[in-house]
Amino acid sequence: MAQFDLLTEKMLRGFASRTSRRNVFSVLGGFLAGAAALPLLPVARAEGPEANGSDPNSGVPAPRYSGNPQDPGDATKCDYWRYCAIDGSLCSCYGGTVTSCPPGTEMSPITWIGTCSNPVDKRNYIISYNDCCGGVPWGRCACQNNQGDRPLVRPSNNNEITWCFGTKSQSYTCTVSLILGVAIDQK
Amino acid sequence: MRTSILRATPMAIGAWFAASACGADFSTPLQPDRVQKVETLPAKYPTTWAWLNYAGDRIELRNVGSDSREVKAQLQARDSATLLVADKRPEVYVADTVWSRGTRGTRTDFITIYDTHTLNPIGEIVLPGGKRGLITAQEGMVTFTDDQRMAVVFNFTPASSVTIVDLINRKVLGDVEIPGCSLVYPTGARGFSTLCSSGNLLSVQLDAKGAVAGRSETKAFNPLDTDPLFTASTLVGGVRYFPSLHGRVQPVDMRGDEAKVLADWSLVTAADLEGQWRPSGWQIVAGDEQKLLYVLMQQGAHEGTHKDPANEVWVFNTVNKTRVKRLRLVRPGSSISLTHGAEPLLLVQAGERLDVYDSREGALIRSMDLPGLHTRLQIEPLR
Repeated sequence: MAQFDLLTEKMLRGFASRTSRRNVFSVLGGFLAGAAALPLLPVARAEGPEANGSDPNSGVPAPRYSGNPQDPGDATKCDYWRYCAIDGSLCSCYGGTVTSCPPGTEMSPITWIGTCSNPVDKRNYIISYNDCCGGVPWGRCACQNNQGDRPLVRPSNNNEITWCFGTKSQSYTCTVSLILGVAIDQK
Repeated sequence: MRTSILRATPMAIGAWFAASACGADFSTPLQPDRVQKVETLPAKYPTTWAWLNYAGDRIELRNVGSDSREVKAQLQARDSATLLVADKRPEVYVADTVWSRGTRGTRTDFITIYDTHTLNPIGEIVLPGGKRGLITAQEGMVTFTDDQRMAVVFNFTPASSVTIVDLINRKVLGDVEIPGCSLVYPTGARGFSTLCSSGNLLSVQLDAKGAVAGRSETKAFNPLDTDPLFTASTLVGGVRYFPSLHGRVQPVDMRGDEAKVLADWSLVTAADLEGQWRPSGWQIVAGDEQKLLYVLMQQGAHEGTHKDPANEVWVFNTVNKTRVKRLRLVRPGSSISLTHGAEPLLLVQAGERLDVYDSREGALIRSMDLPGLHTRLQIEPLR
């Protein structure tokens, strides 16, 4: 142990002799600046709650980002660009994702569609809002956006219908938002 | 439950103060309460009560005409439940859907018949085929016809049809296909009309057994691509009024067996158009016995805002088609309705609040909570 203490003292004294106090602060400052910048990078946001700088005491699940700078936004918030015509609960808050249903549910193959503008690449995309069915609905992450929604007379553009057709249960759980393609006039 | 000293002390002081102030000695104890007491309701409810349908998830009866603001009763509602309130006999009907194991298992669509005096279920009609439309509770999902002897239930699978139900004999009479059409509105002595995707209206007349006795179609009048009609409507002077997304109103006379489309007119002036005033909300329109039409209106409207809460209610004289007043709401509202009677109350759902206004002056009279309302409210006033 005495030899270990001696070795440590020798290393620290060597480091002190080669490094000014200002230099230490500049290196530390660099680390701090880097840490502050990390949450702004889309890749860092994709890594999970710990990496994205959200408040761990907020009580709500941390934001969920795609990690793709061309697909920006928090998939647990109603203002994510794909949700422009959604009316329902976000599957990202129930154990699913933007494109997948939560465990124990079933995705309806019959859906309503909307057209949403991607704020980054400025393209309009056809979005399919598939409902996930047979699970437990209870109102978490409820969103009501009505871009392109039309009265029930045009059902395929109406977001008030429970689109659980062709599934074992027609009980609504949540909704995913799938890109079907670029709107034809934008290709 | 344990009561802390901090909480108990003010209570004890309060009790001592009250006793001292009254000079009472409380020499006799409170009498034991009778057990198994259950409240009942009058067979016919006052018009100052209203049924409130929380998007088909919960239904409650609320006293909106008194500062007591109390909940009078509740009815079971599971999924897209819709309500029919009879005034011909003391019954209330709820069309609902359940699964045998909560959110899975065997699906059952059914109408429950409740006695208005006790609110006990006194009958049930099972709707076959698991095809009742599961849609946010709204006008047109179920309606009376044949002087309230029959009900017409809208089905969506996504093929459209209706189920005709005999409410007196508690049985299903049959189905009618209505391809490409949605929702149902009572028409003629025994029939219904439905809004169709080609922009027209289909009217179906029924015989006494609920079979189709005749059909008629109007010409296309609903421009779905440019200015579609909301499916929410109200009756004024026997004529049904449908506002459009951009601010027209379309009257349709459904008193005869064949619906008649009347001349539409604009709710907005050129100046209103500059301010981008449009109808907006959920249950956006109401009518009263004075032939006045009430419409929720929003300023700065644009694509996608047609279901947003609105800041004003505009009142129109349907005879000379002019606006007679504007009512500024204290909170933006999504659904409106009017109580019946000589002095109708204007009911406005604003978030988790139901605001009650004097419909003539527009003054807020009282406000009540709507706890747990996450989406839409359908208000059913009583006659």
